[in-house]
Amino acid sequence: MSSIVDVENLTVTFRARGGGGFLFERGKNTINAVEDATFHVKDGETFGLAGETGSGKSTIARVLVGLYRPRAGIIKLLGREINFRNKSDIAYLRRNVGIVFQDPVGSLNPRLKVREILKEALIAAKAFDKREFQRRTEEILEKVGLRKSSIEAYPRELSGGEKQRVSLARSLIVPKKLLVLDEPTSSLDVSIQAQVLNTLRTLKSELALSYLFITHDINVIKYMSNTLGILYYGKLVEVGPTYDVVMTPKHPYTGKLMANVLKLERAEHEQEVLADLGPSATGCIYSKVCPQKFEKCTDPPPMFNVGPRQFAACHLYENSKALH
Amino acid sequence: MSDGSPSSSDGKIPLLKVEGLTQDFATVDGRVRVLQNISMQIERGEIVGIVGESGSGKSTLGLAIIGLLDSPPSEILSGSILFDGRDMLKLDAGGLSHFRGPGIGMVFQESLAALNPVYKTESQLKESIEVLRKAQRLELTDSAERDMMLEILSDLRLDKPEVVLKKYPHELSGGMRQRISIAMAIIEKPRLLILDEVTTGLDVYVQNRILGLLKELNRRTGTTMILITHDLTVASQICNTLYVMYAGRLMEEGRTEDLIKAPQHPYSQKLMAAIPQGFADAPALPAPTGEAPDIRKLPSGCKFHPRCHMVMEKCETEEPPYIETSPGRRSSCWLAQKT
Repeated sequence: MSSIVDVENLTVTFRARGGGGFLFERGKNTINAVEDATFHVKDGETFGLAGETGSGKSTIARVLVGLYRPRAGIIKLLGREINFRNKSDIAYLRRNVGIVFQDPVGSLNPRLKVREILKEALIAAKAFDKREFQRRTEEILEKVGLRKSSIEAYPRELSGGEKQRVSLARSLIVPKKLLVLDEPTSSLDVSIQAQVLNTLRTLKSELALSYLFITHDINVIKYMSNTLGILYYGKLVEVGPTYDVVMTPKHPYTGKLMANVLKLERAEHEQEVLADLGPSATGCIYSKVCPQKFEKCTDPPPMFNVGPRQFAACHLYENSKALH
Repeated sequence: MSDGSPSSSDGKIPLLKVEGLTQDFATVDGRVRVLQNISMQIERGEIVGIVGESGSGKSTLGLAIIGLLDSPPSEILSGSILFDGRDMLKLDAGGLSHFRGPGIGMVFQESLAALNPVYKTESQLKESIEVLRKAQRLELTDSAERDMMLEILSDLRLDKPEVVLKKYPHELSGGMRQRISIAMAIIEKPRLLILDEVTTGLDVYVQNRILGLLKELNRRTGTTMILITHDLTVASQICNTLYVMYAGRLMEEGRTEDLIKAPQHPYSQKLMAAIPQGFADAPALPAPTGEAPDIRKLPSGCKFHPRCHMVMEKCETEEPPYIETSPGRRSSCWLAQKT
């Protein structure tokens, strides 16, 4: 399988305002929102990125559509390395990578009708053709599961689920290779979420897309992704086939995350509820919280190969082959 | 348990009894029926879940119970809300506010909107302590108040409570803010706590933590709770009893285990089917089609029939009554009533 996107050693840094925030504080006045992340989205697959709020999931999403510039690392789209200072590279990135954000209200201009929202997307991609516009909009609206009549609607006249479908249509009206879905269903009811997830799965095969699916909801990401990466405070701590990462998590943090997945049953909640301790400033980023911590953890661990295509950044696996 | 209630309880009557509650809203488009014939009974120490999609009336019911719906525009046509045997609907504004806080407390979904943005946590919590102080006629020194705050924050597993006390809402994460909102409500030692979508939009881990804390609080203090959520998975975690709502009506109720094992109403079945199961190779989710109806333009007959996968001719014209189908279970479906 060839890669759609290769992300290698990606680091994204933000300047902290004032003396310092309390998240990701590693070094003075700068914050590493993402640190040294490496992963590949293969052709036709859904790569899932899971993590809690502040883990850097959305930062990675924004880098992939050129909204943030990486501080270090390489991003390749279809094998072509992207220079984030080069306008034509950014244009190339945006032509091929679409994005749907979490907030359906904030991501649609309230003063534009659906027709104009879709037209803007075509104009931005220099692909607007007056004669073809009607056919093209009708086609994409049908694909994302919206009524033809919604073309004349303003966003406020649409439900949350319908708004997310408009966002989808806007991204896909110009054919894309990769669609970045940043918490696309997190603000929806469970029933509407299910409908949107079904549509996304159908679209993927119909339009030969690949997805980068980002969410904190493990039930959703498990259902949607083929490969899964787990982020903790900007660090990719584990990556591998979704089934393996969910069923046999190797990194202690992944294990904890999976143990917290809600199932449809009365929970006993006997497990101890721990305080938020946050990331460790030195050594392994999870070492402040980790119950399996030992001497080695004062050094940052490399990625170890812990199973077929499964990797974890944890010293517990130091006998396995290191990746780099 | 708190003794802050104005009436003493003999423990035999249920803490909350809602009977035949029917409520309208006056809107520019005319009168809209928001709640139709709601009856529920909540025993002391129970955790009850109210589940349904957006627009099902579950938050309206919560607001009606705590008496936060202004009249006009809202108007109660019939029914009663008995809290510890007292009819809340017969109380005037002054009498009602007496019940809020130490009687019935409520935590809202949007923690950012629920907290005053120019108050630090400390001042925010102080307001709640003030309510408790007045209700129980307590004498509290500043240091005793501070100890109370610190205790409640550490009970809610907030790290460094003394630092949190000095923070403004915008300086806190969503999970932390949600826990401050909960702290504000529980510091008043309510006998009934209404929680409206308190875990929605939070990370799995934080969600689980908050549910665990609520369960623990219930076990320790016996606080009765109503958990309002669109997510059956969340409700099933800590609730003893579940009520499923649709279009301002109750569709089904039962013990959590029973309802989840064998949901009687096709709507409950569909809500369960919408929860993602399995991996990427699993089939499409058999979710309910369409969206919840506009409450101003409800269909005839059973309100769920246009989306129902088991619809019969009768459902289009006649609304099924909400009746007991087996001990402890009620539902509103012609299919459940045949058997």
